[in-house]
Amino acid sequence: MKQGTPARPRAPGALMRAIRFLGGHKRTTAIAYSALIVATLAQLVVPVLVQNMIDTVTLASQTGGDIRTAEGLVFNAAGLILLFALLRGAFSFVQAFMAETTSQGLAFDLRNAIFAKIQRLSFSYYDRNQTGQLMIRATDDVERLRTFIAQGLVLAASSFLLLTGALIILAFTNLRLTFVVMPLLPIALALFIFFGRVSQPLFAVVQERLSALNTILQENLAGLKVVRAFAREPYEEQRFDVAATNLMAQQLRINQVFSFLFPVIFLVAQLGQVAILYFGGRQILGGTLELGGYQKFSLYLTYVFVPLGQLGFIITLVAQASASARRIFEVLDAQSEIEDKPGALPLPLLNGRVEFRNVTFRYLGTGDPVLKEVSFVAEPGQTIALLGATGSGKTTIINLLPRFYDASEGAVLIDGHDVRDVTLDSLRSQIGIVLQETNLFSGTVRDNIAFGRPEATEAEVEAAARAAAAHSFIAAMPEGYQTKVGERGVTLSGGQKQRIAIARALLLDPRLLILDDSTSSVDLQTEATIQQALDTLMEGRTSVVIAQRISTVLRADQILVLDQGRIAAAGTHAELMEHSPIYAEIYHSQLVKETNL
Amino acid sequence: MMMGGPGGPGRMLNTETERPKRVGVTLARFWVYFRPWWYAVVLTMILLVLSTVMQVLTPGLIGQAVDCYLLPNATACWYGTVDPAATFEDRAAGLGVIVLLLTGLFVGGSLLQGLAFYSMNWAGQRALRRLREDTFAQIHRLSLGFYTRNEAGNIMSRITSDTDTIQQVLGFALLSVVSGIMGIVFTMSAMLFANVPYALVSLSIVPLMAWATFYFSGEARKAFRKSRREMGSVNAGLQESISGAREVQAFSREAESIEAFRRANAANRDANVRAASFTSALNPVLEALGYVAIAIVVVVGSLSLLRNQPLFGTTVISVGLIFAFIQYVQRFNQPIQQIAVLWTNIQSAIAGGERIFGLLDEQPEIVDAPDAVVLPQIKGQVVFEEVQVAYQTGTLVLKGVSFVTKPGQMVAIVGPTGAGKTTIINLIPRFYDVLKGRVTIDGYDVRNVTAASLRSQIGIVLQDAFLFSDTVMNNIRYGRLEATDEEVIAAAQLASAHAFIERLPDGYQTVLGERGGGLSQGQRQLIAIARAALANPRILILDEATSSVDTRTERMIQQAFDQLLEGRTSFVIAHRLSTIRNADLVLMVKDGQIVERGTHEQLLALRGDYYALYMSQFHGEEEPQAA
Repeated sequence: MKQGTPARPRAPGALMRAIRFLGGHKRTTAIAYSALIVATLAQLVVPVLVQNMIDTVTLASQTGGDIRTAEGLVFNAAGLILLFALLRGAFSFVQAFMAETTSQGLAFDLRNAIFAKIQRLSFSYYDRNQTGQLMIRATDDVERLRTFIAQGLVLAASSFLLLTGALIILAFTNLRLTFVVMPLLPIALALFIFFGRVSQPLFAVVQERLSALNTILQENLAGLKVVRAFAREPYEEQRFDVAATNLMAQQLRINQVFSFLFPVIFLVAQLGQVAILYFGGRQILGGTLELGGYQKFSLYLTYVFVPLGQLGFIITLVAQASASARRIFEVLDAQSEIEDKPGALPLPLLNGRVEFRNVTFRYLGTGDPVLKEVSFVAEPGQTIALLGATGSGKTTIINLLPRFYDASEGAVLIDGHDVRDVTLDSLRSQIGIVLQETNLFSGTVRDNIAFGRPEATEAEVEAAARAAAAHSFIAAMPEGYQTKVGERGVTLSGGQKQRIAIARALLLDPRLLILDDSTSSVDLQTEATIQQALDTLMEGRTSVVIAQRISTVLRADQILVLDQGRIAAAGTHAELMEHSPIYAEIYHSQLVKETNL
Repeated sequence: MMMGGPGGPGRMLNTETERPKRVGVTLARFWVYFRPWWYAVVLTMILLVLSTVMQVLTPGLIGQAVDCYLLPNATACWYGTVDPAATFEDRAAGLGVIVLLLTGLFVGGSLLQGLAFYSMNWAGQRALRRLREDTFAQIHRLSLGFYTRNEAGNIMSRITSDTDTIQQVLGFALLSVVSGIMGIVFTMSAMLFANVPYALVSLSIVPLMAWATFYFSGEARKAFRKSRREMGSVNAGLQESISGAREVQAFSREAESIEAFRRANAANRDANVRAASFTSALNPVLEALGYVAIAIVVVVGSLSLLRNQPLFGTTVISVGLIFAFIQYVQRFNQPIQQIAVLWTNIQSAIAGGERIFGLLDEQPEIVDAPDAVVLPQIKGQVVFEEVQVAYQTGTLVLKGVSFVTKPGQMVAIVGPTGAGKTTIINLIPRFYDVLKGRVTIDGYDVRNVTAASLRSQIGIVLQDAFLFSDTVMNNIRYGRLEATDEEVIAAAQLASAHAFIERLPDGYQTVLGERGGGLSQGQRQLIAIARAALANPRILILDEATSSVDTRTERMIQQAFDQLLEGRTSFVIAHRLSTIRNADLVLMVKDGQIVERGTHEQLLALRGDYYALYMSQFHGEEEPQAA
C-alpha cells in the first residue's frame, strides 16, 4: 500500500496555480481589470488637472477687468475636475466590486474543491490529519488567498501600471533625469524578491503555530472533564502558554523583518526624490533645465514612488497568500490511496458471496500487521460472526469490505470481483453498514434515515424506522420525522442514534450487511429493543457481524474467532463447542444472552 | 506614511464587522493589557510624533531649495538674503547642503517609523499573548454548567476569530490611524492658522466624508452579519464532512453532500458579494469627495480673489494661499481615506474584545472558598447528606440523597436513564455544587477544600474516553505527570492495554490521531483506564466505563479493576450484573432519589424496584450454576 504523503507543493508555484483558478471567472476578471486599467491611467491625469486649475487661477488673476471670463474659466476647470471625480469614482468602484466578486467566486471554487476532496479522501488520511488542521485550511487559508486575489493582485497590477505609465511620461519630459530614477527600480525589485523569500516561510510558521495553539484550545474544550478530573489545569495552562509564547515569538520575528522592510522601501523612494532635487537642481543652475520643467517632472515622480511604497504591502500579501496556497494545495493534491482504478467496472447486482483470500493488513503501511493471512468465504445469505478481543482485528475486517482501506497483501473478493477492480460507488451502494458509533448529519430525522436513499418515500422511511424500533421515539419528538438533528438540532442518545443507523441500513435493503452488534451506552431496555431490530435487519442477507450476543452467534453459519489478527478457530457453534476450547470459554463466560423473549 | 504591514489593509474590508456597544469600557480594559508595557506605548507615541514632524518639515525644505537657489531672481529665504550674483558653485553647494539635510530627515524619519512599528508590535503581541492566556485559563475556571449552556464549538470560534481580529488591528491599523490623525491635525492647524473662514469652507466636505464612512460601513456590517451566519453553515458542513466521512463514503453520498455544501457555500458567497458592493463603494466615494474639496477650494478662493471680496471679513484670498490650500486638501484626503477603510476593522476588533471580556467576566460557579484548605491524604469515606441538586430551570435532579460509604467500599449505582446516577458521581469531585445538603469526604465538605487537592485524589474514567493527540505514553502519563516510563507501562499492563499498545506501529510512542483516532473505542477506554490507574487515586469513579468494550476485554478490565479497586473507595455506574454482584453497596436510584439500598442479595430479597429490574434485565446473564 503506497501512502499518499504528497511532496510539498512549491510556494510560488502554488500561488500561480491559485491565480489560474481565475480562468473560471473570465467575465468578471476581464471587467475588473479593464476598469482597473482605466481607473489607474486616469490617475496619471490628476497632475494635469491640478496644474490646469493652478494655471487657470493664475491666468484669471492676471486677466485684468473681465471678471466674467475669468470666473467662467475657473468654473470650467472646477467642472472638469468634478466630471473627472465622477468617472474615476465609477471606474474605481467597478474595479473594486468586480475584483471582490471574482475573489468570492474563487474562494467558492476552492472551498468546494476542498470539500469534495475531503469527501473522497481515504480513511488513512483521517488517521493522520486533524480536523482542526483541515478546517483551518478550508476557512482561514482560503480567506487569505481570497484577500490576495481581491486586493493584493489588483494592487500589484495597478502599481505596475502606474509605475510604467509614470516612467513613460517622465522619459518624455526629461530623459536625463529619468535615468537618475531608473536605478531605483532594480533595487526595489531586489528588495521585493529578498523580503518575499525571507517572509514567506515566516508566515508559514505562523500558520503552523496558530494551528498548534488552536489544537490545544480545541482539545481542552472537548476534553474539559478529563482535564478537570485529573486537576491538570496548571499543566494545560503551561502547555498553552508555551504555544502562545511560540506564536508571539514568530509574530515578533515577522515584526522585526517588517520594521526594517517598510522604512527601507520608503527610504529608497524618498532618496530618489532627493537625487532628483540635486541633479535636477544642478541642471537648472547649469541652464539646461527650466524650473517649470523640473516642477512638472517632480509631479509625476510621485507616481513612481507611490507604487514603490506599496511594495511592502504587496510583499506581505504575496507571502501570506503563497503560504496559504501551498497549504490548500497540499490538501487538494493529497493522493487518496483508495480510488477507482482506471477502467474500473461497476459491480453488478450482488449475490452476496464474500471471500477473504490470504489478507494481511497494516495500518499506515507500517508496523505489525493487524490482520495476518486471513481467509474465509461467506456464501450468499450466510451470517459470519466475528469474535475476539479488542484489537484482534474484527473492525479491520469490516473496514476492508467497503474498501475503506486496501489490504496490504492478499485480496478481498465480492461475488468473485476483487473490490479494488470495481468502482467505489457501485461497491459501497450495495453494502449496508451499522457502526457502533453513529454520526448524524445536520438535517431532519427523515433526511438521516434516507441518507443512503434520498428519494425514498415517507412510507418507506417510516417502515424502516418501525422495523428498527425507532418509530416510537421519533414520533414522540416535537416535529416527528421533521425534527432537526445534528450539530444544530436535537441531541439524540447513543441508543437512538444506533437505531437510526439501523433504519438507514434497512431502507437501503442491501444484499451485504456489515454490522457491529455491540450496543454501547444505552440502558438495558433500549439494548433489548436494539437487539430485536438488528435481528430483523440481518434476515436473508449476507452479514458480517462483530458479535456480542449469543443469539447472533447461535444463528451464524460461520463463527470466526480472531486472536491477534489471525483466525484462531472457525466453524459453527456446534463445531466450535466441540473442538475449540477458546470458543467454549468465550461462549460460557462472555457472551451476552438475550434478555427479552 | 506607512502603506501596509503584516495583516495590513488587505484584510480589513472583509473581516466580519460588528458595532461595539461599550467602547470606552472596552478600550479601558484593553489598556489594562498594555499597561505592563506602557513605556513601549509611550515610546511609540513619541516616535510617531517625531516622524510626523519630520514628514511635515520636508516639503518646506524642498520649497527652500527652490526659493533660495533655483529661482534666478531669488532674493530671500530662511537664513537671510541671497546674493543674486552667487556663482554656480555657490548655489550648487547650498543645494547640496539642503539635499544632505533632506537625506538626514528621510533617514531619520524612516528609522523612527521602523522603531515605532517595532515597539507597537512588541507591546501589542505581548498584550495579546496575555489576553489569550487569560482566556484559556478562564475556560478551566468556568464550571461545567457553563458548557451545558454554551456550545464548546461556539466558544472556540469566538476565541480564535476574535483574537485574530484584534491581532489584525493591533499592529499596522492602529499605527496608521494614529499617524493619520496626527497628519490631519497638523494639516488642519496649518489651514486654520492661514485663514479661518477659508479653512472652514474647505473642510465643509469632511462631515460628508464621515457620513459616507458611517453609511457604507453600516450597510456592510449588516451584510457581513448575514455572511457570518452563512459562514456558520459552511463551517458546520465542513466539520460534519470530516467527522462523518465514514458514513458519507459508506453510503456513497459524496455527490449529494457536495451539492449541499455547495449551496451553503454559494449563500455565503452571495452574502459576501453583497457586502462587497458597500465596501467597494467607500473608497471611490471618498476619493471623489476629495476632488470636490479641491474644486471648492479653487472656486471659493478664486471668486474671493477675482471679486476682491474678503471671505467673512478676513483678508482677500491670495493666489499663493489658493495654491497652498490645494496642497493641504490633497494631503488631508489620504489619511481620511485610510482611516475610513480601517474604521470597520477597528470596530470589529473592539466588538471582538467586548465578547472576549464578556467571557472573562463570566463568573465561575465553582470556585475555591477563600478559606479553602488543602485536603489531606484521604482514607475515602464519602458521605452524602440530604443532597439536592437543581438544573438551571429549577427542576430538582436529586431530591434529597443520603448515603454513607466506608473507606475501601465499592458502591454500584443502578437505575434507569435520567434517574440522576451521573449527577451523583459528578458531585464527588465537585463538578457541580449542591443546592441543599452537603457532600463530605473524610468529614471535609467538598466546598471547603481546594478543587486541585480534592480532584487529584479522585480517579475518573468517563463513558466517552477522551484522548489527546499525543503519544500513547503521554496520554497515560496524564494521570501522573512525573511517572516514569516503567510506571506507565505497569499501569497499561494493569489495564490490559499493554498488549495492543505493543502492536501499534511505534508502540508507546505512537502518536494518536485526534481524540484517539485510529484506535477502537474499547482501546481508547483501556488507555483511559490505564491513565486512572497511574494516578493511584483513593477514590475511583467509573461512569459506565466498560460499556463500549467487548465482553472478553471487559472481563480483563474487570480483573484489572478488582486489583485497582482493592483498598479504594469506588463508585461504579454499571449495566453489567457481574459488576453489581461484587459491590459492597448497591444504590437503586429512581427519579432523583435512592429508593433501595443494600447488597445485591438484600435488594433481591426486597422484591422491589431492583428485583423488577433484575428480573427483566439481568436474569439471563447469570451463569446457570450461579442461579
